[in-house]
Amino acid sequence: MKIASAQLRNFRNHTETELEFKTAANALLGENGQGKTNVLEALSYLCLTKSFYAANDGTVVQQGKDFFDVRGTLLLDHGTEQTIRVSYDAAVNRRRYFVGEKEIVTFSSVIGKYPIVILSPENSSITFGTPADRRKFIDLTISQSSKVYIDDALEYRRTLRQRNKILSEAARKKMLTAADKASLEPWTEALVTRGAKIILKRAQFLREFAPYVSDAYAAIVEDGEAPATAYEPQIACSPDDSAAAVEERYRRMLEEKRADEIKTGASLVGPHRDEIAFSLNGLRLRTYSSQGQHKTFLVGLKIAEFFYLKERCSETPVFLLDDVFSELDDPRSTRLVGFIENLAQTFITATSESVFRNALQWNDERQKIFIRNGAPVSEREMITA
Amino acid sequence: MQYTSASVEQLVEEFSQLPGIGKKTALRLALYILKMPRERVASFSAALTNVKEKVRYCSICSNITENDPCIICSNPKRNRFVICVVEEPNDVLALEKTNEYSGLYHVLGGALSPLDNVGPEDLKVKELLARINDSLEEIILAMNPNVEGETTTMYLSRLLKPMGMKISRIARGLPIGSDLEFADEATLSRALEGRVAL
Repeated sequence: MKIASAQLRNFRNHTETELEFKTAANALLGENGQGKTNVLEALSYLCLTKSFYAANDGTVVQQGKDFFDVRGTLLLDHGTEQTIRVSYDAAVNRRRYFVGEKEIVTFSSVIGKYPIVILSPENSSITFGTPADRRKFIDLTISQSSKVYIDDALEYRRTLRQRNKILSEAARKKMLTAADKASLEPWTEALVTRGAKIILKRAQFLREFAPYVSDAYAAIVEDGEAPATAYEPQIACSPDDSAAAVEERYRRMLEEKRADEIKTGASLVGPHRDEIAFSLNGLRLRTYSSQGQHKTFLVGLKIAEFFYLKERCSETPVFLLDDVFSELDDPRSTRLVGFIENLAQTFITATSESVFRNALQWNDERQKIFIRNGAPVSEREMITA
Repeated sequence: MQYTSASVEQLVEEFSQLPGIGKKTALRLALYILKMPRERVASFSAALTNVKEKVRYCSICSNITENDPCIICSNPKRNRFVICVVEEPNDVLALEKTNEYSGLYHVLGGALSPLDNVGPEDLKVKELLARINDSLEEIILAMNPNVEGETTTMYLSRLLKPMGMKISRIARGLPIGSDLEFADEATLSRALEGRVAL
């Protein structure tokens, strides 16, 4: 897939911005706070129905306006064009998504249809943050290639909430009454069956994903650092285990933790407490690595995500790279840009052209877009300003 | 806002307590009733009182009824060897509309949902167990295909399995007249899971 054009109205600091894109690299250049990232955010609305970082749509509407509107033309791999429109009405706090003339009501049906791989400063939590951040990363990647997984994950979350309600009541009363026990039993069984599905799917995913990470790493780093991604589920599991075997282990662990669960008032065993361990040359990334190594690892994960999705979705994903150069040394930056823009259409924000050095030749497939004060400006205007 | 009639105000209040009715609709309904002929208002209000006075729960299947046992439980033509378990009375109506099912029903009165304070004790499970006897051949579980319904299905099937009769659940899958290519992935994968041997 390629994004051919986009129009932004009342979108953050863009009052009325129209952009045409090139098929390989599109560098968005400008000083801090001029609206480069806002363009990436608009593309995220087009492809994912939502922002990649704003938690609520209201903050995206330009100050003093009551709606925003993003339109775009996507060129799919097999040649058809699709026009997308996302509009948000602040008065009713409602976002609407249209493909052509047709309104899409269930946003989740769009996930994975127009795949994008985003690398932004917010992503640093994947390597720096908590296990929950890493679970979110793999869940999102699996979801983009498997809608069934989204469904299973939502069902698991709902089951967890139901079961926790009983446990929190028990914690309040400091005991599990006979009636509570009868209530808990079916939800324990439901948690086990639904949780085992998630565990097995994640185990299978990480086994498939690991070689992609190694390959990506080899492509962007010269000195042979060896990355590893390992699934560390609370309930030991190999991808070849049967569902029944995982369920049995799960049941037993819940049994052992029963007293603690009643004390804390929450479910203590399950995929909602899994960890995904990242390491470099056998050392834990979280504990032993430098800022630059973290960033490189993250880039490796994102490139791996690209190849993983490319093979499983019907469309080639588009790269959105927001401020990726900040912690990388020059050789790594140059290699990264050169490598990525050969794979797919790429949108890169940067404060200055100098970071590209000789990695990009500006031509029919590669362009610089200068952004100032929420609008595209010509290179000459940029220099004279 | 100030009402010029306390009776209208009270009626608006009552209407707006109903599910799906806001203040505006309530006011419109109240004014409409004001314009209705006296006889129609009387029959409307009688219908409201009747529903509360005459309708009760069938002592066998827990469905809503005016005569105990209900017309389905007391119908000699129904197949007494099969019981279909559903969540709510409207599920019985839905199944009856098919004209394909001639067995008996059992209405649980909901599905397991701790978040709504519904546990096994709050459903008509004991009543279901009391109906089980040696001549019963099959129990069909027909819960809604959501987390709560599925968990209730799981719970009942574990409870009923040891009792020896056949336990089945209604299939989850594709709507009639639809195309495979337009089915959403979750439905399609469930349909695959529940495939039937030929």
